[in-house]
Amino acid sequence: MKKAYGKSIDGVKRGVRWAWQHKIRVAVLALVLALIAPRPVQTQFIDPCCAIMGAGLSSISSALNDVIGGGLSGILSIEQDIFDFERDIVWPQDLIDEAKGLVGSLQGIYAQIESLTRVPVNSATLANTQQLEQNLLSRDSAQIGQTSAYYAAVYGSVPSPTSAPAEVRNVIDMTDAVAQAAMKRAIEIDHLATLELEAADRINRSIQRAAPGSAPIIEAQAAAWLIRANAYTQAATADLMRVRAIDLAGAAAEVKSGATYNSALGQQLIDLLKRQ
Amino acid sequence: MTIAFFLLFSWLMVTTKTRRQVVAVTLAGTVGATLIAPPPAMAQLSLTGAIQAVLDIVNGTIQSALNSINAVRNAIRAFYQTLVWPVNLINQARAQVTQMIGQYRQRMRDIFESDVGSATLAATGQLEAVMRNGQTSDFNAVTAYFRNAFGPIPAETAASPEDRAMTDMDDALAMGSLKTLKASDAAVDLTLDAADQLEDAASEAAPGSAPFLTAAAVVASIQSQALTQKMLAAELRQEAARVAHENAKRKRGATNTSRLGDQILKLLRRD
Repeated sequence: MKKAYGKSIDGVKRGVRWAWQHKIRVAVLALVLALIAPRPVQTQFIDPCCAIMGAGLSSISSALNDVIGGGLSGILSIEQDIFDFERDIVWPQDLIDEAKGLVGSLQGIYAQIESLTRVPVNSATLANTQQLEQNLLSRDSAQIGQTSAYYAAVYGSVPSPTSAPAEVRNVIDMTDAVAQAAMKRAIEIDHLATLELEAADRINRSIQRAAPGSAPIIEAQAAAWLIRANAYTQAATADLMRVRAIDLAGAAAEVKSGATYNSALGQQLIDLLKRQ
Repeated sequence: MTIAFFLLFSWLMVTTKTRRQVVAVTLAGTVGATLIAPPPAMAQLSLTGAIQAVLDIVNGTIQSALNSINAVRNAIRAFYQTLVWPVNLINQARAQVTQMIGQYRQRMRDIFESDVGSATLAATGQLEAVMRNGQTSDFNAVTAYFRNAFGPIPAETAASPEDRAMTDMDDALAMGSLKTLKASDAAVDLTLDAADQLEDAASEAAPGSAPFLTAAAVVASIQSQALTQKMLAAELRQEAARVAHENAKRKRGATNTSRLGDQILKLLRRD
């Protein structure tokens, strides 16, 4: 032990002696060590720089809390208020569901009405009139091609030129034409009305699946269908007016031709009596 | 890196022999230390300046932006609540619907349901009652009562085939129209029910549920228009048959008149 201690003392003495002999080298070594040695880390609590940073961060935190937090919380409160208003007053789910339910119930009513329009109303008893009636009540515009033939079978055709004067034949043909056109238009209108009921049913179904934002789009489509239906009603009314106009014209033509015919007949009778 | 450099430099310093070597190693060590020593970080601003800058942004730009957003959202809320969907006007509209239901519905129903029957004889009274009852299950009664009031089709021996066909067609279209009208009377009752239901729902609707009701009402209008068209088609058929009937008489009249004139002239010529 003593031996080892003595060796250590000797080693130190030798080192000191060497350092004393090489002062410049030791100084250079110390200088280089000082230059490249890592800097000590400054503590958070003792260093004044950290204190400044702590105060700064505290100010930032307080500003974030007051300015941004306060502002955002104000906005959130307004947003919540708007949300509550829209949910409870503008678009309440229960009333929306109720409205959809009503649409379903209306659909039931219109299904009943649709079935009423399909109740057969045919009443003719003779073969040729049954044919015409069936054609008229067919609700099928594809059958319009046969209407004229069935019509002629019941109401007869235009008389031949030897059986009636030209002006009478004109009136008869015109009246037949307008009567047949009205019958054909009636078939078309029946067919169109059936299609409109079908479309209305489809639109009703889509209303039940709609959202408050999409319902107005469906409403716009329904409005377009209504306009179209109005146009068809107008067309049917126009045909009705044509029938009545031609009827009136026919009545006037009868008076006119009757007067002419009577006058001509009277003249012929006078001529014959004079000859005798 | 730094430790390795220092150990190497120390070893060289200790092991050098001459003064010239010491100077050389010192110079090399100084250059090396300068190269590997980390350069000191240079701050762009002082720390307090940086913190102040952040605070200025928070209190300036961000605060004024948040204030603006707040003001706009407030304005939107006021716009919704006082101009677009004011609750008082929504309630007022509902109250008006309810008030009009009370004021008009029963009154109009009473007017519509007042009896318009006017026949005085037994046969016609029966027909009138059956054609106005809005039922679709008693069409046979319509035919029977119609025949009682207007008579049957003449027998084959009693009238020409043309007359029988025309009377049959006239009767058929007249009865067809009466039956169609019975169905449409039933449809009218159902349509009035639908209108009542829509109006009831309108009295409790919200702005967001009203579009469903409006759309349903427009669809109901299409259906109602379709029914009107079906009635119009029946009227067209009936009117066309009436004109056709008159025209058939005209055809026959023209032929008969022509024949009669010829016969009179022939008779006169013989004398």
